[in-house]
Formats: sequence, structure tokens, C-alpha cells
Amino acid sequence: MIFLTVGTQFPFDRLVKTIDQLFDDGVMYDEVFGQIGETAYRPRNFEAVVSLDKTAFDERFCRAAAIISHAGMGAITMALDHGKPLVVMPRRRKYKEVVNNHQDELAERFEALGHILLARDETQLRSKIEQLRSFVPQPRQADPETVARKICHFLEVLQGAKGPP
Amino acid sequence: MRICFVASAGGHLTQLLKIVQPVAGHETFVITTSEAVRENLQRFGAVYVVGECNRQHGGRVIRVFVRCLGILRRTRPDVIVSTGAAAGCICCFLGKLMGARVVWVDSITNVERLSLSGRMVRWIADLFLVQWPELARKYRGTEYVGTLV
Repeated sequence: MIFLTVGTQFPFDRLVKTIDQLFDDGVMYDEVFGQIGETAYRPRNFEAVVSLDKTAFDERFCRAAAIISHAGMGAITMALDHGKPLVVMPRRRKYKEVVNNHQDELAERFEALGHILLARDETQLRSKIEQLRSFVPQPRQADPETVARKICHFLEVLQGAKGPP
Repeated sequence: MRICFVASAGGHLTQLLKIVQPVAGHETFVITTSEAVRENLQRFGAVYVVGECNRQHGGRVIRVFVRCLGILRRTRPDVIVSTGAAAGCICCFLGKLMGARVVWVDSITNVERLSLSGRMVRWIADLFLVQWPELARKYRGTEYVGTLV
């Protein structure tokens, strides 16, 4: 099963519609389950719901062989944490899908590092879906502990300067 | 010490949550922008929701500013820790004026240059961390020690 998620904040008709059309074109033949938020377009070729609670979302996510998503950080982080192959199509300001294109840079960079696949538009999505089936994501070596230690050290020094509470 | 964590709901909060846990031992509270995430944050102390704002909506910025001012005047944190965005920036400046120290971690989505909020907070931050090594080379006073994502 491929899990399609567009987040819950905004609709994303362009992504849902393209995936639906890829079924008609024979490019997509996998089982797909969608969490499509306020998207107005209703897919004909796969099952989709408006939203899932966290437990149901996590369950679908973990069971999926691959993920298709907008370029939101929640989905990207979760896919990397679970080692799931992910293709993202960023929302675009010109289609009024988002207020600014701030997520594009991260998607570009993460694709260059081999963490995710990036489809810049509907045409690219077609070829990226084909790649997605054999895509093995490069694991990401995030180190939040190091960042947290740095902040803790800063706090300790500060507390030392202030004296005991 | 009393520590105020502040981040907008969404990606900024995802990143903030990666650093909240180890700071246990201090008195902590959280300021965020959406009621939807309140419940998930309650384990880190009091949660204040100030509403969404960005520079496209001047009226909302003023409303969030006033709410943050009220919260910070009541709570008087010693340190503000933020991953952005607008609400975090506002709290950093207000907190600094009230004598708090400021810790900023610029969001990983800023690859080529700092966020707008980050570029402003850089002038008053006591610790300013970035998540791309090239940003630390580009902006004086910023440091790269690792990434949250």
C-alpha cells in the first residue's frame, strides 16, 4: 500500500488529482490510501479520507511500502525516521496552495542528499512514482542530542553565573 | 531557572520538540500558535496559545504581540528558546527587553540563508544555532553543532 498524505492545514487538489490520473494512464497500479484534508477533488481510483487521528495515521504510515506527500516537514521527518521511500510534490504559491515557497529549498537539498524524491510538477511526479518503487532512501544522521547538549551547557553556564536558585 | 519554549505549530514545533526533553530540571512552559497542538505539549508545563500570525497580516501580528507581552510579563522567564517563526521572533525581542537570555535555533528549511525572523533575532541572541554548516560560515555569531532533523 502507498500512503498519500497532504497534511491537514490546506487542500492540495493538484497532487490528489495527478495521482488519480496516473491510475488512468496505467503508471499507478498499486493500492493507494489517501488522507486528503480539505481537498475538493474526490479520487475515483483509490480510497481517501479527510483526516485520520494520530493512531490511525501512524498505523497507515508504518504499514505503507512508500509515501507520497506534500513537502511538509512533518511527513518528511516521519518518513526519514521510519526509513520509508518518499516522493514529495511541493505546494506552489502561484497556485495559492501555500503562502510562500519556503519548503522548496529543503526538498531540493534532501533530494540531492538522497533522502527523498522530489517532483517539482505533475509531469515529474509521473517519473518519480516509477522511481519510488525501487528507491532506497539514504538514512539521515540527525543529531538533536548534540544540539540539546549545547543548549543545556549554555543554561548550566548561565545558572552558574546567576548562583544557586 | 524558568525557561520559555516558543514555536509556531507545524515544522517549527516538530523541531522544538526534539530539544525540549533534555532541559528537564528547569521550570518550563510553552508558547505556540494553534489549539490543535496544546494537548501534546502539556507534559512540558503550562501551554499558551497565541494564534497564528505572519508578516502578511499586520493585525494578527499586533494581536499576537499583545498576547505574548502579557504572557511574558506574568511569567518572567529567564531564558527564551525558539525555533521560529514570527511568534518566536516576537517573544525573543520582548523577552530580551525584560532581561531574559535568548536561544534561537534556525529552522532546517532555511538552507541558503537564515529565515527572516532569524536574521532579526541574530542581533539580540545569546546563542544562535543553525542547521547547515555553510550558514554558520556565512553569518557571524551563528554556530553549527548538528541538526534536529
